[in-house]
Amino acid sequence: MLDLMTAEFDLDASSTAPSKEELLARVADGDQSAFGELYDQIAPRVLGLVKRVLIDHAQSEEVTQEIFLEIWQTASRYESQRGGASTWIMTMAHRRAIDRIRSSQAGRDRDTKIGIRDFAVPYDHVAETVEVKIEHERVEKAMSRLTELQRQAVSLSYFSGYSHREVADHLHIPLGTVKTRLRDGLIRLRDELGVVS
Amino acid sequence: MTGTDKPGNDLTGNGSADNPADLAGAYALHALSADEAAEYERYLARSEQARIEAAELSDTAVALGLSVAPVQPSSPLKASLMAQLATTPQLAPLTPAADAVTPAETAATTDAPPAAIPIGSASARGSVTAASAPVSSVDPGAGVEQGSAGDPSAAVKGSAGGAAAARAQRRWFQRPAGYLVAAAAAVALFVGGTFAGQALYGDPSQDFAQEQAASLAEINAAPDSQRASTQTADGQAATLVWSGELGLSAIIVDELPALGDDQDYQLWYIGAAGPVSAGTFDSDGSGTAWRVLDGTMSAGDTVGVTVEPAGGSEQPTSDPIVAIQS
Repeated sequence: MLDLMTAEFDLDASSTAPSKEELLARVADGDQSAFGELYDQIAPRVLGLVKRVLIDHAQSEEVTQEIFLEIWQTASRYESQRGGASTWIMTMAHRRAIDRIRSSQAGRDRDTKIGIRDFAVPYDHVAETVEVKIEHERVEKAMSRLTELQRQAVSLSYFSGYSHREVADHLHIPLGTVKTRLRDGLIRLRDELGVVS
Repeated sequence: MTGTDKPGNDLTGNGSADNPADLAGAYALHALSADEAAEYERYLARSEQARIEAAELSDTAVALGLSVAPVQPSSPLKASLMAQLATTPQLAPLTPAADAVTPAETAATTDAPPAAIPIGSASARGSVTAASAPVSSVDPGAGVEQGSAGDPSAAVKGSAGGAAAARAQRRWFQRPAGYLVAAAAAVALFVGGTFAGQALYGDPSQDFAQEQAASLAEINAAPDSQRASTQTADGQAATLVWSGELGLSAIIVDELPALGDDQDYQLWYIGAAGPVSAGTFDSDGSGTAWRVLDGTMSAGDTVGVTVEPAGGSEQPTSDPIVAIQS
């Protein structure tokens, strides 16, 4: 469960606004206005992440649409005891973005388009709000505690959508080494960020 | 500074290719192939400790995702989504137990420590055993999501064979009345109840509104769906969405000014043969006005909007306020 994220999210919602968890429960009952409200609350986060991975705006909007349809369809499967609604949605969003890269020409086109991106520092956007800026800086600081090799592997996977095999190919290192870097890197991040399940 | 000094980490070993625990990081980052992920999930099913790690690392990955700057979606995206809800069935809960979680309980468990960072707070700790795995990974039912890439309806098909799917189907097909209401609601929500200026609640126009909502959804869901945006002469954002395969298009304009009773907006397909009327509409001047065009779009057609006497004209009698080429 990502309580710290939930708390962070509360900053940008007025105190009377229903929580995402409440909205999701109403969505599960077929409440379209709750869906609209949930969309307003989190769609920019979802699109931000998807676009970070896919780069192309039009394609990112398509995937965002798929994600929200999946939220509509599967809201009843969300289990609040397993974590916050933001966590559920952002996990789904990332998986969908990755699926898009893997399932089509999109990934290769994208590679052609962007070339080899700067992966060492995955922050090329200017944070738009105080909340995002704080979160961004917190994560950036945590990322800075990783070794360069861990940071590279984690960024290539998460932000550039490389599979662990592609990371190994790209960096010319054994797959086992990539696995270790990804796991150790995330564990380090988890500890730095204080994520407790 | 590698993090391997963490006690819980012992079973990582040194990265031996055969140790499924090594896949924890790649799994949380969605960096595994479907086969590899399935293998890891079989391992998760056997190991409580691995499930805890998987949940934590998945949450850590989410923290990365939340650090990305938000990007505001275009307004047609929401309009399109809302229009599609009416025709998109929802899955039933996997288990009756899932139903038992009320919103109040939800709020209590997830928002309990609203202040600062609740590291190791009692409630968070307490949920460790319940939160046995990242959402959508281990649970065989939730696993259908994994296979639904690129096709939202696959999530429904994917659950076939289960009683849940049957329930979902029943629930959906047994409420035709709900469909009508839902379609109208989808439209009303977006255009502030003034859908294309036509009386939404009149008898024939409700069917019209429903057709319009279904068509907009269809256009957006088409594999070749495309869109182009521009501004009207007065600077309102206008977007054309279309599908060449379907031969359909829809125009969406923000804050389109209201016209007097004696005038309507008229849509035109402008191709090699000159302008062909594609219907009229109105706007109440606030929110988003949109309309699926009548007739068939041909590749390369330009869609134009003119202001015409009420009821429309045979041919445009004024300059278009906006024209967008498909």
